[in-house]
Amino acid sequence: MKKNPFKKGICLLLGTLLAACLLGGCGNSGKPVLKVYSWGEYLDTSLLSEFEKEYDCKVIYETFDSNESMYTKLQSGETYDILVPSDYMIERLIKEDRLQPIDWSLVPNAAGLDEAVMGEEFDPDNTYSVPFFYGSVGILYDTTVVDDADLSDGWELLRNPKYAEDIYMYDSERDSFMPALKALGYSMNTTNHEEIDQAYEWLIDQRDTMDPVYVGDDVMDNMISGNKALAVVYSGDAAYTMRENEDLAFFEPKEGTNIWQDAMVITSDCTEVELAHAYIDFMLEPEHAYANTVEVGYTSPVVEARTKAAEEDFAGIPAYLPSTLGDNNEVFRYQDQETKEYFSELWTKVKAAN
Amino acid sequence: MKHFTKLVRPYIIWAVVIILLPLLLIVLYSVTTGGNDLVNIQFTLDNFRRMTEPVYLAVFAKSFRLGLTAVGICLFAGYILAYFITFFSERTQSLLILLVTIPMWINTLLRTYAWICLLSDNGAVNTLLQMLGFQPVTMMYTDFAVLIGLVSDLLPFMVLPIHTSLCKIDHSLHEAAMDLGANKVQTFWRVTFKLSLPGVLNGIIMTFLLSISTFVIPKLLGGGQYMLIGNLIENQFISVGDWNFGSAISVILAFIILLAITGMKQFDQEEGEEE
Repeated sequence: MKKNPFKKGICLLLGTLLAACLLGGCGNSGKPVLKVYSWGEYLDTSLLSEFEKEYDCKVIYETFDSNESMYTKLQSGETYDILVPSDYMIERLIKEDRLQPIDWSLVPNAAGLDEAVMGEEFDPDNTYSVPFFYGSVGILYDTTVVDDADLSDGWELLRNPKYAEDIYMYDSERDSFMPALKALGYSMNTTNHEEIDQAYEWLIDQRDTMDPVYVGDDVMDNMISGNKALAVVYSGDAAYTMRENEDLAFFEPKEGTNIWQDAMVITSDCTEVELAHAYIDFMLEPEHAYANTVEVGYTSPVVEARTKAAEEDFAGIPAYLPSTLGDNNEVFRYQDQETKEYFSELWTKVKAAN
Repeated sequence: MKHFTKLVRPYIIWAVVIILLPLLLIVLYSVTTGGNDLVNIQFTLDNFRRMTEPVYLAVFAKSFRLGLTAVGICLFAGYILAYFITFFSERTQSLLILLVTIPMWINTLLRTYAWICLLSDNGAVNTLLQMLGFQPVTMMYTDFAVLIGLVSDLLPFMVLPIHTSLCKIDHSLHEAAMDLGANKVQTFWRVTFKLSLPGVLNGIIMTFLLSISTFVIPKLLGGGQYMLIGNLIENQFISVGDWNFGSAISVILAFIILLAITGMKQFDQEEGEEE
């Protein structure tokens, strides 16, 4: 058979078309695109289409389930315009030069932010980060099962044999080491190997005697259905869960806890800088912040939204307004590589131990 | 016809880019240290050495125990199912096989969540038990939950190859065996089962491959403390960020699977030569 140049031409043409289509993301009509990467279940998603309409743009909204998995995705070369990670991860991103400063003049709604949640240690002047949600970590418990007197155990409640096989722990390295370190009276930002080893022993001992289940976001559904009596949760998840199941209560152990903050940051890859600022401003608009906070249960740093939500939607649920002031409360700080690896290995062993 | 061989070229390029390169990268990661960006790497065998720690060996042992149990249950249930399907008319058979594959049309994640609804402490099964006057049983986050999830996920992969093998058996062989004085049990073991062995082996290989490297099902039905090899690897890549160690585990797992398959194939060939 002779070669047919015509056929070859068609093949080439089709190939080029396909490639162009793939590269150009077929059907993108030239609108500016904003890529947002945030925690799962962290937004009233109807706001996204509202934003798209108002600014004639397209928002690609992706979600992650841990700061670490977000970082891994960034490391693999994926680019985003806006990220909504937590305190220590923001500190890491700043250190690694992955963010660009916020132009506060483009964020007029920032005036409504609570001064108390600004200027945290991870970004002292809020050069890079705009608070989105904040809260604490505590123990959510079933009042029909847990004896009020036992609450004075603080974090040691998680090792009280009365509640063996009745506990959910958070399936995350830092959130699981935090209760152990606090129970032992150490800082959760410790770099001292001896202290870390003791916390590791604490966790191993808890595993052996209490048989806890390490879970992620499914802790909320499980607690709503009343499957187990105790769970380590974020205050916002507690507020959300308590709204659904009245038997539940939340407390922050006296040994101190983790005060966290998730904030919006703009990456250095971002080209639609103005649009990104518009997005941040849009989210700080009291009405929008209110919609978000009611939808997910986390505490809004926008005073007007927070007050309204606390009075109307979360009345009688103190977890919505966590006390962030305790003496032993801390904010997670960036860990150097060596400490991080040490924690990681121990955490893998805690989970893998049989 | 010769020029048709050129048509294979795009496939070769595709295979190199999508399969070979990532594999080589995994091997490279597994024998180096120095971070995930491969800028300043040093060659080392530490990643493999770490695997010999008892904690990780226990994870391997647990994965194999669970994987083999799942394969065993699949084989038992799948063989019976495939065997009885062959008794129907051809038309009914294709319908029944279609029914076997229907669960595969639905996403694994969704099916696993359905199991959560059924098995959780206040779920459908326990509600039913309580209505019948029994004590509720904790099923979520146990071996039982993971096994039931795995088996229901893998069963079609066992049924299909066995059914194909069974279908190919010439019925006159059964008649011949009967005529020569074999009873039903003898006929089954010495004729039917023997001739269906290729399908059985294929089914075992498929289900074993899938069960040994699974991570979604144990994570959802077993909880975060339910660590199998797949979870260990996922953990190293996603949350810990130690791609070197994760790659080393992957390489070891791939090696073991390769050995297992070679062993199976060898067995299959020997069986074939016997006849």
